[in-house]
Amino acid sequence: MRVLVIEDETKVGCFIKRALEEESYAVDLCEDGAKGLDMALATNYDLLVVDVMLPSMSGLDVLKNIRRERVHTPVLILSAQSQIDQRVKGLDAGADDYLTKPFAIDELLARVRALLRRGASESPGILQVDDLMLNPATRDVTRGGQRIDLTLKEYALLEYLMRHTGRVLTRPMISEHVWNQDFDTFTNVIDVYVNYLRNKIDRGRTKKLIHTIRGSGYMLKAD
Amino acid sequence: MPLRVRLTLWYGTALALVLIIFSVVLYAITARSLRDTVDESLEDTAMTAVRSLEERGFLPLINEEELLSQFPELTRIDKFFQIFSPSGTITIRSPNIKQHEVPLSRTALDTAFAGQRIFESAKYPKEPPLRLISVPIMYRGNLLYIVQVGTSMESVGETLQRFLVLLVVAIPIALAVSLAGGWFLAGRALRPVDKITLAAQRIAAGDLSQRLSIPAAHDEIGRLAATFNNMIGRLDTSFRQIRQFTSDASHELRTPLTVMKGETDLVLRRPRSLDDYKLVLESNLEEIDRMTRIVDELLFLSRADMGEVRVESLPVAMESLVEDIHRQAKLLAQDRNIEVLLGTVMPVVVQGDDLRLRELLLNLVENAMKYSHPGGKVEISLLNDGREARLSVTDQGIGIAPADHKKIFQRFYRTDVARGHTKKGTGLGLAICAWIVELHKGRIEVKSDLGHGSAFTVVLPLVHPTA
Repeated sequence: MRVLVIEDETKVGCFIKRALEEESYAVDLCEDGAKGLDMALATNYDLLVVDVMLPSMSGLDVLKNIRRERVHTPVLILSAQSQIDQRVKGLDAGADDYLTKPFAIDELLARVRALLRRGASESPGILQVDDLMLNPATRDVTRGGQRIDLTLKEYALLEYLMRHTGRVLTRPMISEHVWNQDFDTFTNVIDVYVNYLRNKIDRGRTKKLIHTIRGSGYMLKAD
Repeated sequence: MPLRVRLTLWYGTALALVLIIFSVVLYAITARSLRDTVDESLEDTAMTAVRSLEERGFLPLINEEELLSQFPELTRIDKFFQIFSPSGTITIRSPNIKQHEVPLSRTALDTAFAGQRIFESAKYPKEPPLRLISVPIMYRGNLLYIVQVGTSMESVGETLQRFLVLLVVAIPIALAVSLAGGWFLAGRALRPVDKITLAAQRIAAGDLSQRLSIPAAHDEIGRLAATFNNMIGRLDTSFRQIRQFTSDASHELRTPLTVMKGETDLVLRRPRSLDDYKLVLESNLEEIDRMTRIVDELLFLSRADMGEVRVESLPVAMESLVEDIHRQAKLLAQDRNIEVLLGTVMPVVVQGDDLRLRELLLNLVENAMKYSHPGGKVEISLLNDGREARLSVTDQGIGIAPADHKKIFQRFYRTDVARGHTKKGTGLGLAICAWIVELHKGRIEVKSDLGHGSAFTVVLPLVHPTA
């Protein structure tokens, strides 16, 4: 899951980025409204976290522009303004949620999870493919009741695959949603991580869940 | 009592008084002039009789027949006539006063002996009063006869009676009509006041966007409404400013709180290395300093607003103040790789508060350093043109767009470029500078272009202008 954070207070932006990264999200950070808008339109993000007071273009204007371009990525507004009319303004501008500063990291993460759930599908919290289960809230992954330990990147890759079960996911799609903008697309990092995942999930089991689609990419499915 | 009732009552009372005084005077004049007319007519008749007696050589008339043949008009008119001897006894009397005796009064007789004529009124019960004239006829200094002519005042009395009735009926009617008119006019004049009251109640309920509709006429009510609107407008603006200020202040305080809470929260989520904790604590310390600075400056400004800041007014030698601040600034600039230079410094004495002026200059110099690029130069100069002192701080930093020249003195206002350049500013420094300059009856000028540096010039009045 790839997230864009538009926040001009460097320290705030940094700790949000770090908190999200520790939860295995791929995070891009931008400190300017207009630049943030360009990034949001250029890349297919899964979630935007936008501060209201921004240089060059306010967060609400960024939001309105994104919606005008028919981009329906979920948006979480961050603001130091707690008055009801400010929240209403934010939600009316097309935001999906509104968080008042200062906030608890847990609340931020819970809201991010809720928004991603809503954005991806109408699925419940826990993702399941055959006997493979993934709980985004606890980040517990089990297969046949057996716990599987994953690194952050492996987890992020698996979550992305599980949210798009049965669909062919190309390497550019995977890199766009699982890695941030610093990722170098010309390496074989994706193949390496898919292999790590295979080792942990499919190795020693009769039923393989991760499939290679020759010439295009990968797919996760039950049969 | 409502104003409308009071106005009408006052107006009615005044009108009633005027009407009554006017009627009394009118009645008196009419009565007087009616009596004068009667008197004139009596006198005419008396003199005719006297002339006629003179023509006859003052021979007394013998009897009524002779009298009537001599004065045929006596049978027609409403006057009677008597001739008395000097002893007061009646010699001759006209036939139309047979009902009563009308004796000659003592006063009339005395006056006649003195050779004077006299008018008298005589009253009888159940009869209209009589008006009498007594004229003496003298011959060689002796009183021969007294001719008296009289008439009834009945018609005069009736005329006055009718007049009185007219007044008594007409005054209340006139009063009633004007009271109704006054009530209507007072209501009309006061209607805008009611409207203003209603609007004021709505405004008092908290809707400061309301305005009164101003009557077209430039009368007292129109002026009141305009003044009222003006006042509400100013209230509205100042409430807006306060709201803006509160929201800005809360935003500026929330940002460091957000950083501290977020970073602390994050680092406590799982075991971290010692360096991680140290970094967070250092960052928190920075934020605490930032909040302290904001709170201090806010407190200072709010005390300044309330007039609670003590300010001296003594002669201050600016050139030594400038040199002191230059020394301080050079120390601060050392680790920032910025050069602080002293330009032309002329001797200047201004009236004011030494501490505040130092704060002002230090604020400007710190700003100049804060928004300079590494390796930049900041210059302080002090000029005296004989009329004013010009204290300038010039830098080669990021500059200010012309549109922002006024706004930078507003509390918490920071340009996007300034925010991007450093996180250190509170947005209150220049507001404090503006306050200090205002306190010294000076002004502050900004010359700046985006990206080309800025020059802030504080212009202060001199203690002893020489030009």
